[in-house]
Amino acid sequence: MKLKEGSFLWYLYLDKAYCLLSVRNVKVLLEYFHLLDVHGKNTLNDVLFYHFLHHVTDLKKRQIEIVFDMLDWNAMGEIGFEQFYVLVCILLAHENHLEKQFMYRHSRLIFDLLDVDGEQRIRQATFQMYRFLFNIDTQELKELFHDFDVSRINYKEFKLYTIVSVDKFQKKQKAERERQNLSSSKLHIK
Amino acid sequence: MEEKPSKVLPESSDHPGSGKANDIRDLWTTATLSESQLNLPLSKVCENFDEEGICVDRTQWYTHHGGWEDDEEDEGNSYPEELDEQTLLEQEPHQGSSTEPRVGEKGDDSNIKAEKPSSMSSVEGSVHAAHLAYWAEQHNRLPLPLKELMKNEALEILNKALRSYRSGIGKEHFLTKELQRYIDGIKKRQDTGQNIRN
Repeated sequence: MKLKEGSFLWYLYLDKAYCLLSVRNVKVLLEYFHLLDVHGKNTLNDVLFYHFLHHVTDLKKRQIEIVFDMLDWNAMGEIGFEQFYVLVCILLAHENHLEKQFMYRHSRLIFDLLDVDGEQRIRQATFQMYRFLFNIDTQELKELFHDFDVSRINYKEFKLYTIVSVDKFQKKQKAERERQNLSSSKLHIK
Repeated sequence: MEEKPSKVLPESSDHPGSGKANDIRDLWTTATLSESQLNLPLSKVCENFDEEGICVDRTQWYTHHGGWEDDEEDEGNSYPEELDEQTLLEQEPHQGSSTEPRVGEKGDDSNIKAEKPSSMSSVEGSVHAAHLAYWAEQHNRLPLPLKELMKNEALEILNKALRSYRSGIGKEHFLTKELQRYIDGIKKRQDTGQNIRN
């Protein structure tokens, strides 16, 4: 999932600590939302939503439908600014490689989004369906359910998963940096 | 005549993360500036600006190094909980307010005046006040190129939606007509804006 380069959202950015938009960016996003709110209901219907997401990302039709169903938590066939804002944060987190931090910071929100049945548990199949949003590896998913030895995970298990994910991501970044430093120091020596 | 979005695109960078942040900064902070109009460098003009009266680290926003200034902090302490809560809370107003000038702050003007002869100081004071007002306006507004991009993009999306409406519910449906009127309204406003500028 990628944001189209040069699109309006591409110029927005998340705060790295809280993985949220700044007030200024929210103000701008609200203006953008109101431009798309054709019918003056402070919502986007499924058609407008589809064309918006299709225009600014490379998501396929089926994926867009999945995202819409996830965000339309009232089942009204429309999404409001709150849901729009969440979606934009998810898109930007993905774009800026902050998915793990985002999931850690907003684990409750994401858990509630993925808990489509309202059972306070997420099945592996549901996780699989939405993994493109958070860049979750299939192998990682299998390991998660294997480690907990359950067919569905509750919020505490999900939270643990986000902590472990962030930790792994940090270590990976650190290892990469060390590798880069090593290669650059070798170049200097030569 | 509509401006094409490509005009506002920054030069592409090999490092999307850092280059993108640098480009975004350029658009947001300097898009509507004309450098020749400024007597002072950006960092000096904005040095004292802070809407909430907090001393601002101007290098966080106005530096032209690649990427965020606090990237260096994040690289060492990017695990969120390792950051002290206090530090996070202190950072937040800085990040939020670093672009906000201190509007209507008279203290700085009086300090400047005290240091120089009165004739010079009154001229410089008014220039400085003009800069203050200018920055206040700039930092509360979306830069024009981004605003144009936003409108053009919305128009493209709505035109595609209109085609779907027409094929899905027909030309004569009230929702289709409403969308058509809405699009015409936006185009009219854009054209009026263009005419005024010309």
